[in-house]
Amino acid sequence: MTVLGGLGLFLVLIFVFLMIALALVERRWPARFRSIPAFDALGGATERAVEAGERVHFSLGTGTLLGSETGPALAGLSMLTRVAEAATMSDRPPVVTAADGALVILAQDTIRSAYRRVRAADRYHASSGRLVGATPLSYAAGVPAVLNDEDASVHLMLGRFGVEGALVADAGQRKQTFTLGGTQDIQSQALLYATVENPLIGEDVFAGGAYLNAGSMHRGSLRTQDLVRVLIVAGVLIGTLLKTFGVIP
Amino acid sequence: MKRASTYLLAFIAGAAGAIVLLSYFLDLPYLSDISQWLKQTAVLLSAAALLIGLLNLVGVHLGKIGGQEKGWAYSALLVVMLAVTFTLGMLFGLDNRAVVSLFRYVQLPVEATLIALLAVSLTAAGYRLIARRPNLFNIAFMVSAVVFILGSAPWLILPGLAEPFGILRTWLAEVWAVGGARGLLLGVALGSITAGLRVLLATDRPYGD
Repeated sequence: MTVLGGLGLFLVLIFVFLMIALALVERRWPARFRSIPAFDALGGATERAVEAGERVHFSLGTGTLLGSETGPALAGLSMLTRVAEAATMSDRPPVVTAADGALVILAQDTIRSAYRRVRAADRYHASSGRLVGATPLSYAAGVPAVLNDEDASVHLMLGRFGVEGALVADAGQRKQTFTLGGTQDIQSQALLYATVENPLIGEDVFAGGAYLNAGSMHRGSLRTQDLVRVLIVAGVLIGTLLKTFGVIP
Repeated sequence: MKRASTYLLAFIAGAAGAIVLLSYFLDLPYLSDISQWLKQTAVLLSAAALLIGLLNLVGVHLGKIGGQEKGWAYSALLVVMLAVTFTLGMLFGLDNRAVVSLFRYVQLPVEATLIALLAVSLTAAGYRLIARRPNLFNIAFMVSAVVFILGSAPWLILPGLAEPFGILRTWLAEVWAVGGARGLLLGVALGSITAGLRVLLATDRPYGD
């Protein structure tokens, strides 16, 4: 094992330890997180859609489950779990779209599991998860049709988006849906900030589970992220000062 | 029985993820081989999933055609074109002139049109942003966007303004934007790590319960 490999493994183990420890702490002493307007508004928007018999559309983006796009895809699926559970009361289940076959299958599984948990498995339909287009722009071209045909009033976007994300968001805005969006790509975040009514910035994309009460592990994860970020920022500041004053070459 | 299958799925997902993760840190030949095999299998499964996704796409649109739902004609066009492209690709290969022409004269122009639409969409979105949420951050966001455009665009009239706007653009891009982007990237990286670890620990099970 190389020194870097050992350090990497050590950091992963520290992460796991902190996540479990802070999840246990969370059960006894729950943390109060800052308000994120997008998540604050989501619950009400979903309830209104359920009561009005309208549909929730969840876009998992144009990424795949392989490579660096996995993170936001998993965050999207975590949030989908909570949204699907909230929407099971509706006659019309949420419709999930993606540009990757594997993500579509996982989305179908997630919705099916949500229905099973409320003992309403018979109301699940396979068309709840759909592949809309296999390329980013064909996906962006297909989403407006889904929003219109399915009479969606809530348009959630969480996953990997490139420039096409602005078109996907714009489709929701034109239909005057409640639109919430976030992605991991910095440039696309800027586009979504301008085009989405309720944007998620930076690590907010991964905070959905914690804010939607998906369990103590999600809240513990968020506390771990905050703790590690403070440590990294402190390290950067100390390193900068040491370098400025010539303590380290 | 259901509970057993849940545990089994969680174990397989966790073990596969742990092997691939450990192979980045530990220099063990067997671990590396298994990790490589798992990654190749994932790519193959992903390709198979795309086919299943396409079947799902066809199923949804056939349902619309059968039910004569709103926009069923577009669905019919989609299914026909998908069948034509798929058949041509399977029979003659992707280098075939007809297949290449379909991409060059249908797919590419449509996608280029969408990209052109993006400029219009973003301009409208910028206006909506200020109208909807006229706070300090949004005004700063829009002013920065305008400075970037003015600093990058050619100045046919008043060419003397090109240099000061260019300097301002560079200062914004290399100081403020890079600083902010590093902060955001740090948050995204930490979020990605915890999202992945939750799946490894089976507290998040996107493969169903």
